[in-house]
Amino acid sequence: MRIRFVLSIVLVCLGLVAAILPQTKNSSMELDAQQLLNEIQLENYVISVDEMANALINNDPEYQLIDLRPEADFKAYSLPGSLNIPFDSLFSETWVPYIDQIARKNVFYSNGTTLASEAWMLTKQKGYKNNYILNGGLNNWFATIIEPKEPASTDGEEAFFQYEARLGMKQFFTGAGAVSSSSSKQVKKPVPRKKKKMVAGGCS
Amino acid sequence: MGPIIPLFEISEEINLLIAFLIGLGFGFALEQAGFSSSRKLAGMFYGYDITVLKVFFTAAITAMLGLLFMNYLGMIDMSIVYVNDYFMSSAIIGGIIMGAGFIIGGFCPGTSVCAAAIGKIDAMYFIGGSLIGILLFGQTYPLWEKLHNAQHLGSLKLSDSIGVSDGILGLLVIAAAVVMFWVGEMAERRFKREDINNEI
Repeated sequence: MRIRFVLSIVLVCLGLVAAILPQTKNSSMELDAQQLLNEIQLENYVISVDEMANALINNDPEYQLIDLRPEADFKAYSLPGSLNIPFDSLFSETWVPYIDQIARKNVFYSNGTTLASEAWMLTKQKGYKNNYILNGGLNNWFATIIEPKEPASTDGEEAFFQYEARLGMKQFFTGAGAVSSSSSKQVKKPVPRKKKKMVAGGCS
Repeated sequence: MGPIIPLFEISEEINLLIAFLIGLGFGFALEQAGFSSSRKLAGMFYGYDITVLKVFFTAAITAMLGLLFMNYLGMIDMSIVYVNDYFMSSAIIGGIIMGAGFIIGGFCPGTSVCAAAIGKIDAMYFIGGSLIGILLFGQTYPLWEKLHNAQHLGSLKLSDSIGVSDGILGLLVIAAAVVMFWVGEMAERRFKREDINNEI
């Protein structure tokens, strides 16, 4: 009988200790500072505006744009197909399933990159995957896609191809008439002059 | 201190191997405790042997205390511990069927396999019966589907639903278990069956 008493008391004591222990939360999925730094240095969390524009034009279902600005700003202007998750409600119950998922690539954007970077850091720290940042945010979107700058005439061919692609994208997103490529000041490849024919005349 | 076994860093095969080893140990312990005799389980119903109650409650308490303490020490991440979905209707109906099966057959699914392994013919029949049951359930699933999925309450924890901390619920479970052990042993003395108790 004695052993039963001892065992019962030991069990209850263990239970008492368990009951007064504070409930801690361990998250093995969360990254510590060093791991986060490594992730930042890898720099594979940005998506360029050109890539994004291409994806939007092709209706690529892989990407989900997420607008972090307040609702009023979102209503005033937003990228097509984007979802408005105001920064301050990022971790609310409604939105967590959207940012903690494995199906699509979430692309955060705000006016600049500050909000998006902060959101990315926070989600990364939480261990959420598949979140990216739109490089340069809406400002860069306007500067690159909506008002593309003409490359300098000394730029290489690449720059001109890109410019023309951006003009096409601009037309897609704004409906503005694309400027025909003929008006660009691209340096035409010098056409080799035909060799002058020898003066031909006479009866040679 | 991180998790003891980093689940995502070991391969699926190693994971299964660990499960296999734990399974071997479980089967061995069941057999050692005498669970491969159907009279042991029936004893729980008639009150002459409450080993089943003791074993399962001790197992639950050990696991529970282990999780609580390891969580406190930062060795386990409770947020990724899988909690079964709770379907209330199926749990109640399934519980009744399972309980009836226990007392009719004298085995639980685990102990029947143990007993079959040491050559008990009743256990082999029991396994055959469960397999037929599984097959029938699977083939007629569309009939039960609605009932099966009714009253889905998600991954519910008892502590959350009654609104106490995990630790306090642990204490309550331990208190309940200790009371049950004492009452159970009183029952054992009262409903003693010399003929059976001496044999198992």
